[in-house]
Amino acid sequence: MPTWLDNNLVTLIDGVAFGVLLFCLALGLSLVFGVMDLLNLAHGALYLGGAYVAVSVVGPQSGGLLRFGLAALLALLVGGAAGAGLSFAIRPIAGRGHLDQALLTLGVAFVLADLYSEHYGNDVATVAPPTSLAGSVGIAGNSYPVYRLVVIGAGLVLALGAYYVIERTRLGALVRASVVDAPMVRALGVNTTWLITGVFAAGAGLAAFGGVLGAPILSASPGLDSRVLILGLVVVVIGGLGSVSGALTGALLIGQVETLGVSLLPTYASFLTFGTMALVLLLRPAGLFSKATV
Amino acid sequence: MVRSLRAHIAVSLPVLASAVVLAGCSSSLNSSGGGSSDVGAAVKVGLLVPTSGVYAPLGKDMRQGFQLYLDQHGGKLGGHKVDLQVVDEGGSPDTGVPAAQGLISKSVNAVVGVVNSATALGVKDSFNEAKIPLIDLTGKSASDYVWRTSFSNGEVAGALGPYAAQNCKSAYLIGADYAAGKEATAGFEATYTKAGGKIAGSVYPPFGTTTNYQPYLAKIKQSGAKCTYAFFSGSEAVAFTQQYAQFGLKNSVQLYGSGFLTEGGVLTSTGTAAVGVYTSLFYSNQLDTAVNQAFVKAYTAANKEAPSVFAVDAYDAAQVLDTAFAKGTTGPEVIAGLKSITTVNSPRGPWTFSPGHGPQQAYYLREVKDVNGSLVNAVIKELSTP
Repeated sequence: MPTWLDNNLVTLIDGVAFGVLLFCLALGLSLVFGVMDLLNLAHGALYLGGAYVAVSVVGPQSGGLLRFGLAALLALLVGGAAGAGLSFAIRPIAGRGHLDQALLTLGVAFVLADLYSEHYGNDVATVAPPTSLAGSVGIAGNSYPVYRLVVIGAGLVLALGAYYVIERTRLGALVRASVVDAPMVRALGVNTTWLITGVFAAGAGLAAFGGVLGAPILSASPGLDSRVLILGLVVVVIGGLGSVSGALTGALLIGQVETLGVSLLPTYASFLTFGTMALVLLLRPAGLFSKATV
Repeated sequence: MVRSLRAHIAVSLPVLASAVVLAGCSSSLNSSGGGSSDVGAAVKVGLLVPTSGVYAPLGKDMRQGFQLYLDQHGGKLGGHKVDLQVVDEGGSPDTGVPAAQGLISKSVNAVVGVVNSATALGVKDSFNEAKIPLIDLTGKSASDYVWRTSFSNGEVAGALGPYAAQNCKSAYLIGADYAAGKEATAGFEATYTKAGGKIAGSVYPPFGTTTNYQPYLAKIKQSGAKCTYAFFSGSEAVAFTQQYAQFGLKNSVQLYGSGFLTEGGVLTSTGTAAVGVYTSLFYSNQLDTAVNQAFVKAYTAANKEAPSVFAVDAYDAAQVLDTAFAKGTTGPEVIAGLKSITTVNSPRGPWTFSPGHGPQQAYYLREVKDVNGSLVNAVIKELSTP
């Protein structure tokens, strides 16, 4: 069906771009939940923090690629530091169940959201893509922003890197082992405290990095934090805990549901994402790629 | 300290007087102080606007508009010192309704505000029962004690229909999936099809959760429509108009919309992607009238930014209350005062209250233009009222 493909090719590509953004967000969420058994509801606020870093460093006027890279690096560092701090804050209540953790991280999310709103105001803050990537290219007769293609490329590099670290290195093996059975890893003499802090920092840094990457597409505004958090949680539920391929598959799937699905069935737009999640929960309650037993 | 104590004693008088039997007593107390402009007990006015949540930028404009009128009139409305109580409406009815109830229980003389139409619906009856006038700044709810200085979404959109039909025969409708979006697109559709236009299709993205409009833009493109009518406001308006340009529709499918698509802070955030968008609204700060130019000058001097339509709504609310409070400060007296208003000399142009307690006003066709590096809603012409 060439005409169908012609009509929807751009939508398909856009689904990948959106999925890649979700992957940045969901990977950290998935690993933190997997390794620490901790529900981090401040994850969306970390993403928005990254977006506001881009607002401060880049702003609404197109700048050079270097400036944008600087924003991404800065977000990675700030996000990482915030994540490490959060992991220390959470330690005293680590054993007290999901509800207490949710309360603490949700409180942190509210405080962060208010701080952003205090400093950046309540208007939408936009971020321009780098000048060299600001144009559009023609794809099957439609114009498509170059920047979104770059997002796809950056996301795929990130996914490969994360896959390599988690699946092919000793560090990754420890993280995976902690997902499956953390007490056993401790019994083998591994300091899981540092492992946990490291995973937390990496996940938070990645979320903030995603915030910079996504800023030219989704802008930065109050309320965006909770919107991306919910999508991130859906991806984690679909992909299963603590696996890179799970997060990637879940993110790409939700990316397509949110674009191609919405394009084909606009009437059910608000239902599609959660409908997909419900379907996955019915068929594979632990997620598509989960290695943990639930 | 002393001032607040005096104010407290002063406000308790009209509160007592709000019982119907004491109404006459109140006016005699008010006039007992002498002939100067200092007379008259203070009136308590509640300003119920969002200072947090999605609509916080609108709330800021409203507060500034109301404050400007007070500052220009020595902090008085109808000769009464105003004790202004700003209360946060929040982003939804679960914060807005309790905030309104709180103001009612404080026995304020009048309330100005309410942005969320769902909140307006939830509190309408309470204001009627308490006999406290509400000057509603958006929405379309009207009853004995609820009056509006703003608009109805259907009318704003409907004003644009005939003009759009002259220039484009096939339109695609897109609006945020909630009451306002549906009202606006229905209002546009009615006048547009009556004037000979054809609807190529319509779609309603979920309200408050949609960030990526690409799938909807693809549908517009596929439909072969020659123009688009859009209703969005706030952050959604920014995202929609920017993506409309990014995906190349801006130059091939003319974008029309209700004025909120390109109003105030939204226009600043959207940037040059908004240039060339046509919208309809009852105000633009570019209006070439003496009243408006004086208003824009004073507002800009006070707030370091140009006024939006929301500032004008609140400014006019202060203006009508000024007239109404001169007649009396109890609920029924204020309503009688509002009914006696013939013409409001507003920055938007003169308007009158319709039988439905909303403004009977002119609508303007506006085009976003880049004037010396700053974006403005240039007024093209006046549209005939639907």
